[in-house]
Amino acid sequence: MYSYAYYELGNHHAAEDATEATFVAALSNLDGFEERARPADGEGASTFRVWLFQIARNEVAAERRRARRRPTAPLEAALTIADPLDVQAEAERHDDARVAWQAVGRLPEDRRQAIVMRFVDELSTAEIAGVLGRSEGAVRVLIHRALRAIARDLTRRA
Amino acid sequence: MIDRRGDDGEIGALVTDRYLDSLLAGAALDDPGAFEPPGLDGIGAAVRAVSRRLATDLPRFHPSFRFEERLALRLAELAASLRLPLAAGGEGQPISLAAARPPGDAANLAAEPDAADDWPPNRPLLIGGAVAASAISLAGAWLAWRRRAASPMARAVRAAHARGAGPEA
Repeated sequence: MYSYAYYELGNHHAAEDATEATFVAALSNLDGFEERARPADGEGASTFRVWLFQIARNEVAAERRRARRRPTAPLEAALTIADPLDVQAEAERHDDARVAWQAVGRLPEDRRQAIVMRFVDELSTAEIAGVLGRSEGAVRVLIHRALRAIARDLTRRA
Repeated sequence: MIDRRGDDGEIGALVTDRYLDSLLAGAALDDPGAFEPPGLDGIGAAVRAVSRRLATDLPRFHPSFRFEERLALRLAELAASLRLPLAAGGEGQPISLAAARPPGDAANLAAEPDAADDWPPNRPLLIGGAVAASAISLAGAWLAWRRRAASPMARAVRAAHARGAGPEA
């Protein structure tokens, strides 16, 4: 949850605020959670994570509105903090991470959110569809086109 | 007119989605040539390459442990004020990670038997703003990678929810 908020907000303090607000809202509104998983979805299947991410998405949007009134550090700043080991491989890895994130960060909001939820939070396509309020097919196309756009972007900048 | 069969249409998206399922499950990353679900011939090399890159290079962020403690305290206070019914497992007492494992045995922490925790072995992990490789922050990595915690949590929530919706509520 914190990771999702940080990718969206690019600021640790803002991500913490959004994460805290998400869990407080979830706990306060636990009675409003409606389990939509069916027995056919398998043992342990639950839509709780979708519900939690829906709250997080709203809290991130609220935090972003609040953040417009105060300056924020870019996400890239966190990726340039010195590693205690500071070996070549780690430096290259951080560089790769920065390049990958920059490409994702240039995507339109809906594509970016879908990519982060799929690759970082490892939500399924069905779960992302639940969070974004779209069909599974629409989310599949969204992610597919986002990947093609990133590939073109990285090729152009290589 | 919507192109449903082209590389950028629904068919292409469906093939990509299947590839991502296999990639994120770890099979394709361990040995790229060893496991390819059937029907993925149509996926473009560029999409395949960028998918693998995002799966390995995008870091996962973890909040500071101080923040986690503060949030846990606040949620505990809120739960007490809301008088929520006890969730499944809530009757126990939390134990620290250090107490739950042999002292000084960091290797055990790294060898957590949850197979999902083993992949990818060197994915970047950032804790509370500090960059850390998983090898030098095992406790944080273990917490960050315990993906399966979602299911027990969901079950606990369902149990609490079911009790709260009972006739006595």
